[in-house]
Amino acid sequence: MAQVMAQRFTGTPVKRAEDPRILTGRGRYVDDVTFPGMVHAAFVRSPLAHARVVSVDTSAAKAAPGVLAVYTGPEMEALIEPGPYGMAAMMNIWPPAHSLLATDKVRLVGDLVALVVAETRYLAEDAAELVEVEYDPLPAVMTAAQALDPESPLIFEDLGSNVLAGPKVTTYGDVDRVFARADRVVRATISQHRHQNVPMETRGAVVDYRKDSGEVEIWSANQGVALVATVLSARLGIPREKVRARAADVGGSFGLKIGAQREEVAIAAASRDLGRPVKWIEDRHEHLMAAGHAREETLEVEAAVTNDGDILGLKVGIVVDAGAYPGLGGMVTNIIEGMVPGPYKIDALSFSSTSVVTNKATYVAYRGPWAAETFVRERLVDLVARELGKDPLEIRRRNLARREDNRQMVTGRSLAGITAYESLEEVLGRIDLPAFRARQETARNEGRYLGFGVATYIEPAPGTRANGPLGAEQMRMELAEDGTVLVYTAQMPHGQSHETTLAQVVADNMGVPFEGVRILYGDSAVSPPGLTGGSRSATMAGGAALTTARLLRDKVLDVAAHLLEASRDDLRIENGSVLVAGVPARAMTLAEVVGALRQPGRLPEDVDTELKVENVYDGGTGGWSGGTHCAIVEVDLETGLVRIERYLVVEDCGEVINPAIVDGQIRGGVAQGIGAVLLERSAYDAEGNYLSSTFMDYLLPTSMEIPSIEVVHLEPVPLDPVVNFRGVGEGGMICTPAAVCNAIEDALAPFGVRVLEQHLPPARILELVGVIEPE
Amino acid sequence: MKLPPFAYFAPSTLEETLALLREHGDESKLLAGGQSLVPLLALRLARPSVLVDLGHVAGLDHLAAGEGSVTIGAMVTERRAERSEVVGAQLPLLAEAMPLIGHQAIRNRGTVGGSIAHADPSAELPAVAVALEAEMVAESAQRGRRTIPAESFFQGFFTTALEPDEVLVELRLPAGESRTGVAFEEAARRHGDFAMVGAAVVLRVESDRIADARIALAGVADTPLRRPEAERALRGEEVTAEAFEDAATAAARDLSPPSDLHGTAAYRRHLARVLVRRALVRAAQRLGVSP
Repeated sequence: MAQVMAQRFTGTPVKRAEDPRILTGRGRYVDDVTFPGMVHAAFVRSPLAHARVVSVDTSAAKAAPGVLAVYTGPEMEALIEPGPYGMAAMMNIWPPAHSLLATDKVRLVGDLVALVVAETRYLAEDAAELVEVEYDPLPAVMTAAQALDPESPLIFEDLGSNVLAGPKVTTYGDVDRVFARADRVVRATISQHRHQNVPMETRGAVVDYRKDSGEVEIWSANQGVALVATVLSARLGIPREKVRARAADVGGSFGLKIGAQREEVAIAAASRDLGRPVKWIEDRHEHLMAAGHAREETLEVEAAVTNDGDILGLKVGIVVDAGAYPGLGGMVTNIIEGMVPGPYKIDALSFSSTSVVTNKATYVAYRGPWAAETFVRERLVDLVARELGKDPLEIRRRNLARREDNRQMVTGRSLAGITAYESLEEVLGRIDLPAFRARQETARNEGRYLGFGVATYIEPAPGTRANGPLGAEQMRMELAEDGTVLVYTAQMPHGQSHETTLAQVVADNMGVPFEGVRILYGDSAVSPPGLTGGSRSATMAGGAALTTARLLRDKVLDVAAHLLEASRDDLRIENGSVLVAGVPARAMTLAEVVGALRQPGRLPEDVDTELKVENVYDGGTGGWSGGTHCAIVEVDLETGLVRIERYLVVEDCGEVINPAIVDGQIRGGVAQGIGAVLLERSAYDAEGNYLSSTFMDYLLPTSMEIPSIEVVHLEPVPLDPVVNFRGVGEGGMICTPAAVCNAIEDALAPFGVRVLEQHLPPARILELVGVIEPE
Repeated sequence: MKLPPFAYFAPSTLEETLALLREHGDESKLLAGGQSLVPLLALRLARPSVLVDLGHVAGLDHLAAGEGSVTIGAMVTERRAERSEVVGAQLPLLAEAMPLIGHQAIRNRGTVGGSIAHADPSAELPAVAVALEAEMVAESAQRGRRTIPAESFFQGFFTTALEPDEVLVELRLPAGESRTGVAFEEAARRHGDFAMVGAAVVLRVESDRIADARIALAGVADTPLRRPEAERALRGEEVTAEAFEDAATAAARDLSPPSDLHGTAAYRRHLARVLVRRALVRAAQRLGVSP
């Protein structure tokens, strides 16, 4: 049956199904979930970065008003099974072994020392202040350099050092030959600073353990209920089928809210111990201090280049400051390694990596966790250009792989279908660069400093099949009595608008109105297992929605052919009704089709009348997302403040499901990238005190700081015969820091400034230019 | 981040308020909008056992022009002062500083007296009060009313001349004079943040010469800071770029500003010079005597 689907919804800015609920304050976030008899938790957290816990006296706290229980580290260990939590559980990182609440020592400011459960959160906080903890302070390990010093105190004794992973060295291509052939080697040490995921909704959970049945129900802010249930069952020692993990609306995450985390397991253990539902909602102070931080890496890079501007090969050495507890910090280097050549024709790479533990918050995934490779590479391209006295755009044009080259990265990844070069050309078609350069020159003569910067990236969202399996996205779909299509997705939307995008795809491929589709998620008892993350859902869930809807449609048509006594080839579903070609009067609504199936004898026995489909989508051919960002900035060299005059994104995420949602994803990511460069920093002092624990010190960009962001979508390059949606969750964040820093370096070019760090607050700008002395 | 336990009183008259303060004194805190105090309570950095809410006290929200001055009741919200025609016409320096305080939602709640009594050295209003040589009127049950000049009102970080049993009742701000130009300049990481440095300038020019200048800085010390040396350097000078530059340099000389996440001491010293110069230039431009 060759039938071309009418694309009524896919590709159009359908208004978000989520909006009426969320924008009127009727969303249901974890703090909106209550159970009868629910009590509240507060944690006693360490004020010290590194210390032995000598004693914990809970007697005064236990006697405080409204307190049900206070748990110390050893008391909590008796209630749980040791093992990893959160992201570490997903990656099965264990050892280094550690307790849930501190038993022997604390490893960061904000580490968990005791748990208080009381009738209200107020009373729990009051009692938490009464827990007397005696500490024996240890020297804090606050930098990667300190961690690498063999004399430094051990954070995990059983690791034997403070090195969590590595050093690991891998070589691709003939590095020695390429460096011998180079006219020169451009060297730089480039760092990303520690900053963090700051979702509007902090972490939190409500857990109800039922003594009667031995079942536990957890509602939490998370990116996938299946992993929550798996980790909780392992840590509580409860069969997986007795754990039901749920979530409704989740107010952002950006990679943070993975699995059941230490706090969530602790309150679950308390709920089981007390026989009462327990709620813990992380406050912003706890969140900024201890929920997890991201991005602290230093990369030493060497580029072998010719005098013409060809980049022949790279040597990269990375050290990741992974913070105190196992998270993504020990693994992220593997992704960085595979991605570092990016869309460039680089023939050789040597990559060495080391991850260390320090007395800081745990390194977690944050929107484009491997983004160090894009930042370093895109900075390096500009540094090469400056060293050669050439235009960075010329270096990019020379070295970017073209789609028709059909290359693969030297690390082995196929570059099929990339449009990096096209995106750069599109940017240059939209910016009058000669006019800008003239304006820049005039401004400089008036003491005003304008700068222009671009950066280019590609993102495996999900990547191409040639690079390995893309995964398996499960989806279940059925027709309800009223003709509504019920879609059970493995996705756990936390800002991605899946209730809208998946419904658009299903509506078009099923032939029903947008409102005739219900997207159901967030219940481990009924949702297929899965996770939202890694910019995978457009391809994986979008593809699952498309293919599953077509399977369901075919089943409906099989049945309808009997009911309507028509040839199946003459039938189609349109606007929720089965129509017979040329006989409009014989139409049946989908509700009538379902109703007819309930009547015995309407259909031959051998016809499958279950209008349900279970399907697994494997990602098809997959493909890259990518693009080029361009920033035009003005730096005030009296105050050091940077104003972004123009920001342009040209991007390719394949076939766009909903342009408004895609633009929103991009703009949000760009805002976070601008925040990273100009405002956001998770800062510690030398003793390990956390300095950014309120919004007075952790500065998020507001609408006042973010310019209007122009977004242009490239024509999609189809790689797959059926599904060409590609992810767009991370690209905005990945590319922006490099584009902004490149523009700032361009603005400061008259002073010979080289930007080797990502965070450029105003004082730092003036230090780089030499207006003030560094402290 | 839940508030610690405290007793809460919501008196409706000044007499009741003063009686409560007389009784609880040191143990009490006045709530005058709560834009600083409530976050401090939530972080448990402030631990008063008694909170006396001024929100229902009658007679603290007057705003009127008098003989050569404007009187602003302590509980006048920042937003009301910002929108007031009297402030716009008679207190141009205050009018210019107002929109820089936080965001509109904060100014809807925050009060003029609350900000003055909180005495954050980075805040705009204390610097404006010092530059304008305002007077603070305080009242206690035992000693009645007294007037405190701005210069001696601010004594240190979050510390004022107010006694524990006193309420700041009103501010008296000298109205703008003829041939006087004003400007408030600040540098903040984001719009609405506390200034890293702020500069308030009042400049009087007569017969093409600077007759008087007052300069106050925010964010560079434990109180708002007048810069008398820079002011002296300007008196009698012609309005020239050099005179302003010299005064700005003098204003920044010998400062020992704090160093924090948002800016080093060196950076704040530098900002002080830049912002004083910018404020002087703008104040002069308002008088039509561009340097």
